[in-house]
Amino acid sequence: MSARGRVLVAMSGGVDSSVAAALLTERGHAAVGVTLHLWDAAGGDKVGRCCAPEDREDARRACDHLGIPHYVFDERAAFAERVVDPFVAGYLAGETPSPCVHCNQQVKLGRLLEIAHELDCTHVATGHYARITRDASNEIRLLRGRDRGKDQSYFLYGVSPEILAKMIFPLGELQKDQTRAEGRRLGVPGWDKKDSQELCFVPDGDVGGFIERRTGARGDGALVDPSGAVVGAHEGHYRFTVGQRRGLGLGGGSPPRYVLRVLPSEGQVVVGDEADLYATRARATDAVWIGAPPRGELRAEVQIRYRHAAAPARVAPTPGGFEVEFDDPQRAIAPGQAAVVYRGEQVIGGGLLAP
Amino acid sequence: MTEPLIYLDHHAATPVDPRVREVMRRAEAEAWANPSSAHQAGRAARRALEQARAQVAAAIGARPADVVLTAGGTEACNLGALGVVPDAARVTLSAIEHPAVEAALEGRPTRRLPVLAGRPPDADALPLEGAQLACLQLVNHETGTVLPVARYAARCREAGVRLFVDATAAFGKVELDVEALGADAVAIASSKIGGPPGAGALWIARDAAVDPRQRGGAQERGRRAGSPDVVALAGFGAAAALAAERRAAMAEVGRLRDRLEAAAVSLGAVVNGDPAHRVATVTNLSAPGWRGARLVAALDLEGLCASAGAACSSGVDGPSRVIAAMYPDEPWRAEAALRLSLGPGTTPIEIERAIAILRRVLPRRGPRETSSGF
Repeated sequence: MSARGRVLVAMSGGVDSSVAAALLTERGHAAVGVTLHLWDAAGGDKVGRCCAPEDREDARRACDHLGIPHYVFDERAAFAERVVDPFVAGYLAGETPSPCVHCNQQVKLGRLLEIAHELDCTHVATGHYARITRDASNEIRLLRGRDRGKDQSYFLYGVSPEILAKMIFPLGELQKDQTRAEGRRLGVPGWDKKDSQELCFVPDGDVGGFIERRTGARGDGALVDPSGAVVGAHEGHYRFTVGQRRGLGLGGGSPPRYVLRVLPSEGQVVVGDEADLYATRARATDAVWIGAPPRGELRAEVQIRYRHAAAPARVAPTPGGFEVEFDDPQRAIAPGQAAVVYRGEQVIGGGLLAP
Repeated sequence: MTEPLIYLDHHAATPVDPRVREVMRRAEAEAWANPSSAHQAGRAARRALEQARAQVAAAIGARPADVVLTAGGTEACNLGALGVVPDAARVTLSAIEHPAVEAALEGRPTRRLPVLAGRPPDADALPLEGAQLACLQLVNHETGTVLPVARYAARCREAGVRLFVDATAAFGKVELDVEALGADAVAIASSKIGGPPGAGALWIARDAAVDPRQRGGAQERGRRAGSPDVVALAGFGAAAALAAERRAAMAEVGRLRDRLEAAAVSLGAVVNGDPAHRVATVTNLSAPGWRGARLVAALDLEGLCASAGAACSSGVDGPSRVIAAMYPDEPWRAEAALRLSLGPGTTPIEIERAIAILRRVLPRRGPRETSSGF
């Protein structure tokens, strides 16, 4: 065994995790590649990431190239139960779920830690763009990745400090193009492979179709304006998310209209002007804090979706949750999405936006 | 890893015997041509092929003419399960057949002979009503369970049901006399007896016909199309000629297996299958709290090669279907199942080292809570 100890590297088959494994190997760690088999792509959509056999093969190829062992473990049942089912239920309830948050929190990292213990690995490494440090009193801190465009700390706020203490993010200090350059330098197969933008279990991006195939749901209903007047029709409220403009079928009228709210019990989707999308207040449930929960109000920046520049706000803890009052109104605060509380680069905690 | 690997996965593939390798080297030099060709080079290949056939036939008590040589055990099983009664509307299977048989018959109405706790039922329990074909394993690949197939064969004959026997896990471990067994067809494989992979055979009773599964040539008397891999089959023949020697080693192999198994049991594992009804080469164990695939990985990292069930091409091991069928009320056993299988070359020192590894690895897990989230 290497002097630096054995590290489990979570391998998705993508360039990021492959380069993470290559960097650790180069630094003298005994790396062990592990791919969790989370989902079987259905008939037509075998183009995804960790769900397609092809990506498991890519992960294996990368490990073969590095001369490290590679194992695949079946976690499909846990993924379906804890990620996919809540995702579908969230959309049916008119929310915009955050499956990657739930996957990290409920399945992926927990299982990887468990497996690491079984395989006698001291740490778990992933290809996430995020950083872990310790503060002056040796408390764990989760920081944004250096590459602000790729930063994935948003998806990791729910990971407990006990788990973070055993994690390594070898790409945290890198820019994406540096990752590719490292991949190229180290001869990692697939270093130039395209990034995936879609959810791993909905690789074609057709969330509505996915929900209908999985549940048999059909939900035609009305598009209404804020006063309740019917302005159009839709083919399933679960096809809409707050702030969405495309797919409303309202023609190119001006001013353009946006989804303001989804009302599943009425089967209605409320549309209106962009100005009506802005709000100053938000409420989050299921709060998780990295370290001690704040005792009172604090000033922080709150990020309400993955592609959102965290905005300055006042955060007031409530039992099990928190309230947010932004300095400036924010666009499209969507129930079900994670609200992650930052102070500068540091993740303080987060929760799920409530309706 | 400085210590040599400990290979305890002989039920997946056996190391090729050096004497077999020598025969293959010769075949590579002398028998490379197409054995169907009319010229001298073809005749040389045909001689090697027919010698292999004779060796295989002799090892299983058969006439060479009744032996169809194939490209492995899966092909032989497919040919047997599908070729003997191609239009069988109803098939009787044991509940623990290998995927090579199980998957070949997918979609057909089947009835199952249960093998609960690895205890083979009496021949009366065989559900044959309405069946045209029965497919029964002689020895199970995961637990080594031996089914009393000769008794089942007698019942099949009475009932007018044809019988295909998968003997791939039996050959080289128990005496195999196909004429005495009473089956219509019997499959065996090279890679389980110290021969190379990619070679196998289906024995077909002299009055039985078989429908070839692939088209394109009249090789093997029209029963199997395609040019054979003469080199692999020459190796298979040489390995078959050594089968008696393998069987003679089984008493010692069984002692080593028992020692290994006792150590695992003392660490909290339970044995799957009935020890009174199995071959000497294998122990199938479930250690509480473990999942088989993870345990295999943990052992691999310590230098011990084992497996969680039938080697699966996708690289993902689900729960073992064999163990699930044997223990329907204890699903954890199928999740945890670990197969350690020995061969005649396994040494006492390897077993002591394997025990030391099990002592290091198994205690990493206690019984698993129902939910392992955090």
